[in-house]
Amino acid sequence: MVSLQDISKLIATIKSVSRYDFEDYSEKSFQRRVEKILMDNRINVTALIEKIKTNKDFLEKVVKDITVNTTELFRDPEIWTTLKHRILPRYKNNKSIFIWHSGCSSGQEVYSMLILLNEMGLFDKAKVFATDLNTDMLELAKKGVFRYRFNLGYFDNFDKVLRENPYNFEEKIDVPYSKYFDIDKAKDSITMKQFLRDKPIYRKHDLVNDKNIFYSKFDIIFCRNVIIYFNNKLQNKIIELFSNNLYKDGYLVLGAHESILGPVANSFERTKGLYKKKSF
Amino acid sequence: MLYKAVMIGGSAGSFQVVTKILASLPKNYPLPVFLCLHRLKHVRSGFVEALSIKAQLPVEEPNDKDHIKAGKIYLAPANYHMYIELGNKISLSTEEPINHSRPSIDLSFISAAYTYKNKMVGIILSGANKDGAYGLKKVKDSGGLTIVQDPKECQVKTMTTASMKLTQVDHVFSTNQIIDFLLKLN
Repeated sequence: MVSLQDISKLIATIKSVSRYDFEDYSEKSFQRRVEKILMDNRINVTALIEKIKTNKDFLEKVVKDITVNTTELFRDPEIWTTLKHRILPRYKNNKSIFIWHSGCSSGQEVYSMLILLNEMGLFDKAKVFATDLNTDMLELAKKGVFRYRFNLGYFDNFDKVLRENPYNFEEKIDVPYSKYFDIDKAKDSITMKQFLRDKPIYRKHDLVNDKNIFYSKFDIIFCRNVIIYFNNKLQNKIIELFSNNLYKDGYLVLGAHESILGPVANSFERTKGLYKKKSF
Repeated sequence: MLYKAVMIGGSAGSFQVVTKILASLPKNYPLPVFLCLHRLKHVRSGFVEALSIKAQLPVEEPNDKDHIKAGKIYLAPANYHMYIELGNKISLSTEEPINHSRPSIDLSFISAAYTYKNKMVGIILSGANKDGAYGLKKVKDSGGLTIVQDPKECQVKTMTTASMKLTQVDHVFSTNQIIDFLLKLN
């Protein structure tokens, strides 16, 4: 296992040659990412630190490898069902809905939301922004092509969210997959429809350093399973950023096992796994 | 007190063993107990409830950065890895599965071994793959106490035999012996 001293050295080196700052990352997962990088590149930590100092491209690659890119279509269907039945209907009479997917990775969450918005008749009103630190992931998100077999397990989630109504078990809604994506089993691919791909604005964004880069506040901010990689101090700073950039009564959607722990928790009211910004 | 934590890893065939162990641990048990158990891909909810039925201690799937408290059972949430951090906190991660497992027993054990050193007890139960074997070795290497469920008693013994191959474990115990041992830590 890489020692904590070496981890500190690595973080200090990255900080000295770039604006990336991993100081407030969660120790264990960061340590584990670094170990994976050492194994994948077959080098030791001293060599890694030296190479980072002199090779800018390598540094960028290391930063990308540190980020975790797990995302799934309709991950945690209960949250999406809540959005569908309890939250989104409130926006029926709004002129617009501003949505920010922070830490969107390869975009499955963005597409899930776009599909849901379309089913709710809210697609045209929505202004959708999506950001990530990892530009490779943003490119994947823009392309909207995912592996079929890998995502097969998540079709159940699609069915649960879009075809069923937990408040009325008899209701079965017919939403064909082909409305939203083309499946090519031979190529093992799912390709999102053009109208979905064209909608979001994707930008690189660094939650550690950057403020809101969109000159707008938001009705809904998604940031799911991102702040688990940060310590309490950085978590609180980011939640504050979100709080300051949500409209009152706006919603923050975190991962299923994330919570708000600092004083900023007082700005939110937790309802069914979502955080609603209080109006005062 | 000699120990600060107990961590139990298991997979196929471990559910009933864990249930029996939890049923035997009394209220005010002096240590936190971490469970890292594989589950079927789509069994995401209902597991805590099932384990809670007979347990006298509260069973929960922790949130990220929750403070660790004695007398609580922490079950690694579905689809997350669970780490034990320095500073008495749990952290979660959605990194890729390891050996097809998320939660990975290895990762939980490695992080616990690093944090608790010789102040922990690691237990591997019945299971159908090798996840956990390397983690248990790390517990032993860090001075912790290692136990495996007697393979003769396991519904599936791959996990326990793999653990015993990799590590000179301290005890090979039946479920009842594991329970007696845990109660004496009291």
